[in-house]
Amino acid sequence: MTRLVRALLAVLVLIASARVAHAHEVRPGFLELRETGPDTYSFLWKKPSGGEIEIYIAPIIPKECRLATSGQQQLTPGALVVRGTLRCEGGIQGKTVAIDGLESTITDVIIRVHHADGRLESHLLKPVNPSVTLGAQTTGWQRSRAYLRLGIEHILLGIDHLLFVLGLLLIVGDRWMLVKTITSFTIAHSITLAIATLGYASAPIAPLNASIALSILFLGPEIVRRWRGQTSFTIRHPWVVAFAFGLLHGFGFASGLTTMGLPQAEIPLALLLFNVGVEIGQIFFVVMIVLLERAFRTLEIRWPRLVEAMPGYAVGSLGAYWTIQRTLLMLGGLR
Amino acid sequence: MRFSVAIASRRRGLALGVLACALLPSPAEAHLVTTGLGPIYDGISHVLMSPDDLVPVLAMALLAGLNGPVAGRRTLFALTGAWLVGGMAGFLVGQTLVPSTITTASFLVIGGLTAADRRMSPTVVTALAVVVGLLHGWLNGAGIAVSQREALGLAGIVSAIFVLVAVASAFVVSLRIGWMRIAVRVVGSWVAAIGLLMLGWSLRG
Amino acid sequence: MKGRVSRTESWAGLKAGPYNSLLAVLMLLVSAAPAFAHVQQGQAQGFLTGLRHPVSGLDHVLAMISVGLWGAQLGAPAVWLLPVTFPMVMAFGGFLGLVGIPLPGVEVGIALSAVLLGLMVAREAKPSLVAAALLVGFFAIFHGHAHGTELPPGQSGLMYSIGFVIATGCLHGVGIAIGVVHKWPAGKAALRFAGALVALAGLGFLWRAFA
Repeated sequence: MTRLVRALLAVLVLIASARVAHAHEVRPGFLELRETGPDTYSFLWKKPSGGEIEIYIAPIIPKECRLATSGQQQLTPGALVVRGTLRCEGGIQGKTVAIDGLESTITDVIIRVHHADGRLESHLLKPVNPSVTLGAQTTGWQRSRAYLRLGIEHILLGIDHLLFVLGLLLIVGDRWMLVKTITSFTIAHSITLAIATLGYASAPIAPLNASIALSILFLGPEIVRRWRGQTSFTIRHPWVVAFAFGLLHGFGFASGLTTMGLPQAEIPLALLLFNVGVEIGQIFFVVMIVLLERAFRTLEIRWPRLVEAMPGYAVGSLGAYWTIQRTLLMLGGLR
Repeated sequence: MRFSVAIASRRRGLALGVLACALLPSPAEAHLVTTGLGPIYDGISHVLMSPDDLVPVLAMALLAGLNGPVAGRRTLFALTGAWLVGGMAGFLVGQTLVPSTITTASFLVIGGLTAADRRMSPTVVTALAVVVGLLHGWLNGAGIAVSQREALGLAGIVSAIFVLVAVASAFVVSLRIGWMRIAVRVVGSWVAAIGLLMLGWSLRG
Repeated sequence: MKGRVSRTESWAGLKAGPYNSLLAVLMLLVSAAPAFAHVQQGQAQGFLTGLRHPVSGLDHVLAMISVGLWGAQLGAPAVWLLPVTFPMVMAFGGFLGLVGIPLPGVEVGIALSAVLLGLMVAREAKPSLVAAALLVGFFAIFHGHAHGTELPPGQSGLMYSIGFVIATGCLHGVGIAIGVVHKWPAGKAALRFAGALVALAGLGFLWRAFA
């Protein structure tokens, strides 16, 4: 009987997850204009691509400008790249650039203009304000805030990362273990995030996504084992597992940063603030879960068995769903 | 099925509307936050950014917490459940009703009761939570419909309220030191004072 | 069934130091707030105006702090009864002002309140609780009437009221915190001296109100 109910529940969660699993495209788009001569700018447009859903955004150049492209689009792993030359009568100052289709996405676009006098101008366009008038100089403080914000948003929208953390929380035994596990996860993903952003190594996006899903699926059976009072290597040393899979997740975080095509000089700052943003989001999530659990006990809430098991089943079945979906996507990409 | 629900909520909406209009009419105002992170996060940040919803929610949690774990537990589910129901009804009807009157009344009643700190039966607290949830939820739902946003925002609003009420009321329940309970009452009196001032603002027009 | 037991145990391990992390969350919320900040300009402005208003006038500040000082001298029931009732009575004064009911001699009333409250602190007067509450409440109406109604146009009344009430409450808090020195003999004397100063300043305000 209970087995039947559990099976039913798993199916339900799976159906519900089909909605959640529409994991939106959260990697930002990138538009770079570099002044190469009087009124002339080299044009570089990178649109994130090859994720779970394809988004349709394109820059609208100012009316007074003419764009000459080589006519071919380059499809690199993870992004669609367009290069060209932009000519603007009287320079780009005071002209407005907009991103078409941005309002219907949840993606950001970073616009960066290198002026001939060495000035660097950058803007973060969001679905709420999909256009910007160029010419105003951004301060380092504004750019730092943009990177920090990008990190927070990346983790808040990265349901897969949060679900992995939730799985870890369900496995850890005591407070000390919790601190050790979350710290080692943090250290591990910071290492690979740095390695990938600095360009020493990179992971192809489709297999990476599939293996991140696999790491979530891996936690499912461990949670059930914990419920049954059994033990395993993961349950005894969750921090080791958190570290190992953290290395993987770090590459995933890096995809939120590297497709931006950061200027070399700004990489350390961007890396640091993006990572801090990710940690803020993650600590917030962990503290919220711990506080909630604590509150439930203070209020003496007795959950029905099914509800109590829900988070565990969500981790397991969503992990399984994503593994299958992303593996198929990867195989489809190979064909 | 869906149709009949809509009719039922429309009728309730009408009754509520008549009641509320009899009290005091005022222009509808709906301010929803846009984070750029999708409707769920928009809903969450709406709760955190709008004091006219946030303050009554927190005050309700404080009041429930002062009345012990049973009241806290029931309020947690009653407030969030009613908020969801009221929100869906408001979304289907799409008609905001005298928001400032409702907000003012919540501030006054919940704040005043918290400041008084008289022992109330969990049933009374729960009933109050249901009323507050239905009214404020209605405003949120109707606001979402009026500004043509996604109804999913309501899910964000309700989950944020669930977390806030659970943590805040459990916090008050766990208070053992006398003066900390009094601090809670002081906060309640602030809420009531704000409500009184708002009543003045709205009467002045 | 066995599973259930082990799960409870696993969470039980997390129980030490229950709500210390609450503060962390709050701070996190505050720090994350600018990231989400899309608050209308009018709202933030209204809050700041309301917050600044009670602190801007020395007469108001002195009277509020002496309420806290006096409460600390009076001890147990008064020290918390005053901060609970004061905001509500003050809001009632503001309400009267908003509705348009005039209150004669507001400036004189505020100056007088500083004089009388200062005297009470200086003399370490201990009237009955009701008398103390009535005295404080009477002046609270004047303070609310004078300060609760000055909202610049275009700003949010709700946010102004929140800022106004919070600032007033914090002034009480400052008074009560200073009043802690009442425990020591030297502190007692210092409190009385401070009360005398407040009364003197109140006389100054009174002079200004009539001049």
